[in-house]
Amino acid sequence: MPAALTKYGHVFLVGLQSNLVYRWNFLIRGFFSLARLAVVFILWGAAYAGVTQIGGYSVGQTFTYFTVLIALQFMIGAFNEDYQIGEEIRNGLINQFLLKPIDYYVYRFTVFLAARVVSGALVLVPLLVVFPLIQSHLTFPGDPWRLLAGVPALVLGALIQFTLAYCFGLLAFWFLEIQGFVILSFAAETLLSGQIFPLDLLPPALFRIAQYLPFYYMMYFPAAIFTGRLGLSAALTGLAVAAAWVALFFVIARVLWLAGLRKHTAVGG
Amino acid sequence: MSLRQYLRIWLACLRYSLVRTLMFRFDFFLWSAVELAWMGVNVLLVEVIYRHTDSVAGWSKYEMLLLVGTSMLIQRLLMGFFWSNLFEMGRNVRTGYFDFYLAQPGNPLFMVSTRKLDPDGLANTFVAAGVVAYSAHRLGLHPGVGSVLLYAAMVGCGLVIHYSLFLITTSTTFWIIKTEGIEGSYFTIADFSRLPREAFRGFANVLMVYLLPAVVVSNVPAQTLIHGFQARYALWLAGVSVAWLALATLVFNRGLKRYASASS
Repeated sequence: MPAALTKYGHVFLVGLQSNLVYRWNFLIRGFFSLARLAVVFILWGAAYAGVTQIGGYSVGQTFTYFTVLIALQFMIGAFNEDYQIGEEIRNGLINQFLLKPIDYYVYRFTVFLAARVVSGALVLVPLLVVFPLIQSHLTFPGDPWRLLAGVPALVLGALIQFTLAYCFGLLAFWFLEIQGFVILSFAAETLLSGQIFPLDLLPPALFRIAQYLPFYYMMYFPAAIFTGRLGLSAALTGLAVAAAWVALFFVIARVLWLAGLRKHTAVGG
Repeated sequence: MSLRQYLRIWLACLRYSLVRTLMFRFDFFLWSAVELAWMGVNVLLVEVIYRHTDSVAGWSKYEMLLLVGTSMLIQRLLMGFFWSNLFEMGRNVRTGYFDFYLAQPGNPLFMVSTRKLDPDGLANTFVAAGVVAYSAHRLGLHPGVGSVLLYAAMVGCGLVIHYSLFLITTSTTFWIIKTEGIEGSYFTIADFSRLPREAFRGFANVLMVYLLPAVVVSNVPAQTLIHGFQARYALWLAGVSVAWLALATLVFNRGLKRYASASS
């Protein structure tokens, strides 16, 4: 175990360094997110004119939800991991990992973690810049259990997002082009993970269905815990469902990997 | 070159694009589905918001849907006619492959902008137009031929404005070579065009409604269809289209002077 820690510890450090190269990209993306936040504030601000509550939540709670969501996107979101993995398979860079005592999934996840440490730290810059402006609109519930349940929800959310992206990347064993699949699933993901609107505003029947889909646990679930849109029992049930999804995605990733290796012809490299 | 020759070139490009699409049929269906899914997301947002409130900045549900549909229509037209061309221009300037366009005997801006059409974007303009027509039907509007033509002309102005904005965005490649991801700034501005003008206050109002053409582009056509023709809005839209096209052409031509073939 310590040997494995040292091994992937080095991977993490290299991942940190190679992602620091993209610091400006992350920073610029962070500032673009502020523009999206402005769209949200304008639209929902107008929707709240004349009503005090939408779906049982005040305008401040809705703003807080969307602000937290932006931070989460940079802290636990999968950016282009699917594309990177697909590229490594296509141009044969993956061959070097087949010859070494390295688990490709763990290697990739370690790099993902390093990338999220960098982007997660950098998104704080634009958020701090606008903090004086939006501060009066933010309201967080004070319950300590939200922190205890929220952190595992974040970890599970990150695992679901990464493992799904990993599975999409592995499709490159069979298909030349995977971008189409990725972008199509991205639309479903954006909607069903609550990035367009808080999912509890859906009609109750649809909301119940959404709760059993993996997308719900990518962003909405941790954000809802932190911003007070979920009670304790719903949070505990959610953690169990999220863990089940993580386990299922692990299995799918493993099966795709083993089947993919059998198809792999190791071109290039 | 005469106008007729340009038209023949454009028709040749159209034929080439269609043949390409027939070769990559699966891609056509996939990308159409992608765009359709994104439009569905925007329609659903309207649906969800109006489940909880009756009016947003004075716009009723179907008025809002008509606005969102108009904004999507303009964006699909940009995607269909110009997106890949201008997007690739940035890359070509970076690699030096842009030489190929300069060597052609025609106006460089025309050559750069019209080489390829994306039938998937164009296919989805019908879906967007369907959203507008459905909203108009639910609002009980019965626009005459004149109103429909006026609306179409205004959407045309909208296309000119979006084209200009995107051309300015990609033309920055002439100055700053590393501009990957710069198209994000176009999408950011376009996001604002799905919002009603009355929702903007203070600084956002000055910037997005008056300084940048983000809001006028969709609000004026939608408002005209809903409430009828108002000369000052129509003039505003027409003026903004001319001004931004002039600015974009200027920026492109200035950039062209800086172009030094292969860079990095």
